[in-house]
Amino acid sequence: MPGRFTLTTAILLALAAATGARADTVRIGVNEPLTGAFAASGTYVVNGAKIAADEINARGGLLGKTLELVIEDNKSNPTEAAAVAEKLITSDKTPVMMGAWGSSLTLAVMPKLMDYEVPMLVETSSSGKITTSGNPYVFRISPPSALEAETFAPMVSKLGMKKVDFLVLNNDFGRGAATDFGKMLKEKGVQVGLTETMDQGAQDMSAQLAKLKGSDSDTIMITSAVDQLVLLFKQMAALGLKKRVITTGGSQNPDQIIAQAGSAAEGTMHLTTFLPWLPEKTPDPKATETFIAEWKKRGFQFAGVTESFRGYDGIRAIAHAIEKAGKAEPAAIAKAFWSVDFTGLNGPIRFAKSGPAGKESGQSKPDVYLIEIKDGRVVLPTL
Amino acid sequence: MSRLLHALPPLALLAALAALPLALGSNPYLLNALIVTGILTIGAMSLNLLLGYTGQLSLGHIAFFGIGAYVSALTSLGFDVELGFGLRAVHEPWPAAVGFVLAVVAAGACGYLIGRLSFRVRGAYFVLVTISFAEVVRLVALNWVELTQGPLALTNIPAITLGLPGLGTWTLRTKLQNYYLVLAVGTLCWFVVARLVGARFGRAMRGLKENESLALSVGINATRTLTVAAVVSAAMAGAAGSLYAHYLRIIDPEVFAFTTTVGMVIMVVAGGKGTLMGPVVGGLIFGLLPVALRPVMAPEAQWIVYGLVLIVILFVMPRGIVPGLAGLVRRRPARAVPVLEASPEAPR
Amino acid sequence: MDQLIQHLVNTLILGGTYALLGIGLTLIFGIMNVVNFTHGALYTVGAYLTYLAVAALGLDLFLALPVAILGGLLLGALIEIVLLRPLRGQDIDTTMLVMIGAGIVLQSGTLWIFGGVAKAVPSPFPEAPLQIGPASVSWLRLFVLGAALLLIGLTYALINRTKLGLAMRATFQDADTAALMGVNVRVIYTATFAMGSALAAAAGALLGPVYVVHPQMGGPAELKAFAIVILGGLGNVTGAAIGGFILALAEELGAGYISSGYRDAMGFLIIIAVLLYRPTGLFAKAERVG
Repeated sequence: MPGRFTLTTAILLALAAATGARADTVRIGVNEPLTGAFAASGTYVVNGAKIAADEINARGGLLGKTLELVIEDNKSNPTEAAAVAEKLITSDKTPVMMGAWGSSLTLAVMPKLMDYEVPMLVETSSSGKITTSGNPYVFRISPPSALEAETFAPMVSKLGMKKVDFLVLNNDFGRGAATDFGKMLKEKGVQVGLTETMDQGAQDMSAQLAKLKGSDSDTIMITSAVDQLVLLFKQMAALGLKKRVITTGGSQNPDQIIAQAGSAAEGTMHLTTFLPWLPEKTPDPKATETFIAEWKKRGFQFAGVTESFRGYDGIRAIAHAIEKAGKAEPAAIAKAFWSVDFTGLNGPIRFAKSGPAGKESGQSKPDVYLIEIKDGRVVLPTL
Repeated sequence: MSRLLHALPPLALLAALAALPLALGSNPYLLNALIVTGILTIGAMSLNLLLGYTGQLSLGHIAFFGIGAYVSALTSLGFDVELGFGLRAVHEPWPAAVGFVLAVVAAGACGYLIGRLSFRVRGAYFVLVTISFAEVVRLVALNWVELTQGPLALTNIPAITLGLPGLGTWTLRTKLQNYYLVLAVGTLCWFVVARLVGARFGRAMRGLKENESLALSVGINATRTLTVAAVVSAAMAGAAGSLYAHYLRIIDPEVFAFTTTVGMVIMVVAGGKGTLMGPVVGGLIFGLLPVALRPVMAPEAQWIVYGLVLIVILFVMPRGIVPGLAGLVRRRPARAVPVLEASPEAPR
Repeated sequence: MDQLIQHLVNTLILGGTYALLGIGLTLIFGIMNVVNFTHGALYTVGAYLTYLAVAALGLDLFLALPVAILGGLLLGALIEIVLLRPLRGQDIDTTMLVMIGAGIVLQSGTLWIFGGVAKAVPSPFPEAPLQIGPASVSWLRLFVLGAALLLIGLTYALINRTKLGLAMRATFQDADTAALMGVNVRVIYTATFAMGSALAAAAGALLGPVYVVHPQMGGPAELKAFAIVILGGLGNVTGAAIGGFILALAEELGAGYISSGYRDAMGFLIIIAVLLYRPTGLFAKAERVG
């Protein structure tokens, strides 16, 4: 009777799993995509988070206890991300979380934060909505696309952009970037032409690219994650599409692009939030070098650091907040986030108020860099 | 006497399910798993009406679930949509309970349309048409961003508020309330299916499943019978979708995922298609299996187990767990339970 | 106009691979009455085998291709012998569900083994595209088109010119009579499923270098294969080949001139339209009923 056995086992196991929360550890919930479309990026972030946790534990932990990461997979799916948050809060009793990589995933989690009054550090998402919707439990270290656009604004005229088309993911991440950059470009007197979209799992974008090839713009701004960018660059080369390309969003992973797209990526430009290729130009060169060394020591690909540093910085920021709070409780940590102030791998991490008064979210302002791929290497373009 | 005997297992199950939260105490995580499982089980019960009783394998069933979820969510959230030609559709938020009713109606209506269309074909064609339908609906939900928010998901969907004149209203926010709501709707669906398959109509459905040409020759109207089954089935799936939307309070186009349909099919087939108890037993097992597997194995390994379990059940217990166990417990009165036992001898 | 020409060139390139995806599926359905829900997973496996052959064994793409095809052939034969042979005579729903289970196992298995990070298969062709008037096309994709057409041609020849093909066609007409005439139907079934699987693996092997190799790549490919096969009529190899090109055309023009978001919906809309007016597909033979 396999049926009856399974049911009993299921309930027993679930009960066993639900009685976690040991007293000798401080738990941080990590809600990341480990399977599905964003599996690669989510895994990098989690690996970065683990480095930070090990580093903190090697220094004696937090509040005299061991720091423990409770890592859950949100399957790159918003509904699942909300369910994972619910599980982390109610079953694992984590007083603070990090997540959830993509904007759609993070937006899905946010109502749960309000329901349970548990803070979350947002490490990757770029949609403006996240910090403007009046959720006081959200603290973000990645730049929203408006902030990214603002930092990029001074470079527009130096690049000599006249007319720009957008090719973006058909979600909040992509559409948000097209809106914010579009607005900034119009203010700078640059024309905005087509806005084409693609699904996150799409592999063949030749139809969209054929359309972009036919337009009279000089620049294409692309917002997507690395896997799709590789495909796009290859397909652009195949179509003989030779316009200036600038990617946004911070999930480009230039090394993977160089390795996988080869010469098709030559001359493409990318807005990134980390400069692992030139550690001496980062805000905290020593920390950057330590992190990269540890990353390599663990046998991970160097290419992953542009994602994983956010997991690393995210956990470090949470640890700062927990220490300032003096206890691992949601309300105290949420309050302590406002006094976090240290230098992360991509600039100072301190949270400014953002959104409607009285229930502001926290937004840190990281550095944004424009890099170019030249002769198969990452360089800073000469403007 | 025998009627009472056959009513006993479902009644016992109902009583056990009603008492379960008391036994669990206030473990929100398990309660959450039970609620989602319950909702998917209702979906499986509705699928069973088609798959189990009429023998039509609909692999697009999730479309009705998703349509129910979106209709209900949009009714209660309101929308303002440009329709083209200068027309706008503006809708102010209505109570979630109205959304539930509209979800049932809308899903049922879609069931009618799709039924009329796809029952022109049988077998593999039917399966592929239903898959295509679900994909198209998913792509509409994904791309009609102005209405559905596309992949950004519809968030902050209100919880269902129940009201009785003179008694006041209450909003079902807590898990416990939602649990009993799902249990109540599930029980209602059970009775609908039991009535339907117990009556003359049920014999018509089974007749079509066993031998379509014979059924036609004795005057059973195939298209009408199948369409009625499709409408009821779709309406029930829509109800489940509505519960899903108002419980999770967020939905995204992934509700249309093919894997969810596969999950429901597994529930029906493993539990026992064409039986009343089958989808419920299958639903409970396969709804809670991921909860049990989550702490012990990686997500992709869980899916491997899922696939293997499906294959093994089809090989070892092709008729499902409930008929299999019933056969073990009492071999004799198999014929005396026309409602529980659909068609023991397969055609062909 | 230039854009239209580019769309048409893209159609030709894409259509070839779609056709290859479709014929494997339709072949298995036509002869065995099995809807192969492992098709997408086999496509993924083919792509990973190419990746392994190139990355681990250091073979070049031209040698990796036969490796992937052979792998698909063996895996298909294994699936047929272990899962389908014992179920012979069961209804089509049961085999479909078993195939769904097998597809889930294969797909999750590749994710488990290779992880979620996409892999790239290096291409031996020059990056600079071939210019045809205003349109450009990459050498790699031209090669893929050529290889796809070659494989489709070989499949044709095998079905229509060989003894095995004769036995397959006899089984297709009437399995019982074929068995009476001395055809070993069990072998034919295994051979058919293996062949269909090899074609799926070949499609994955050819498209792996064009796109990236990813555990989830099979899902959309499988749905497209279903659309193509319905378009052409289930079991109709010629129909599937033509259906592949029609789907590619609809997608290109749909994305180019209607909306890129609905690109993937084109196939399904076509299916629904076709089934409304010609329920057995555009090119169905009169005697085939669904």
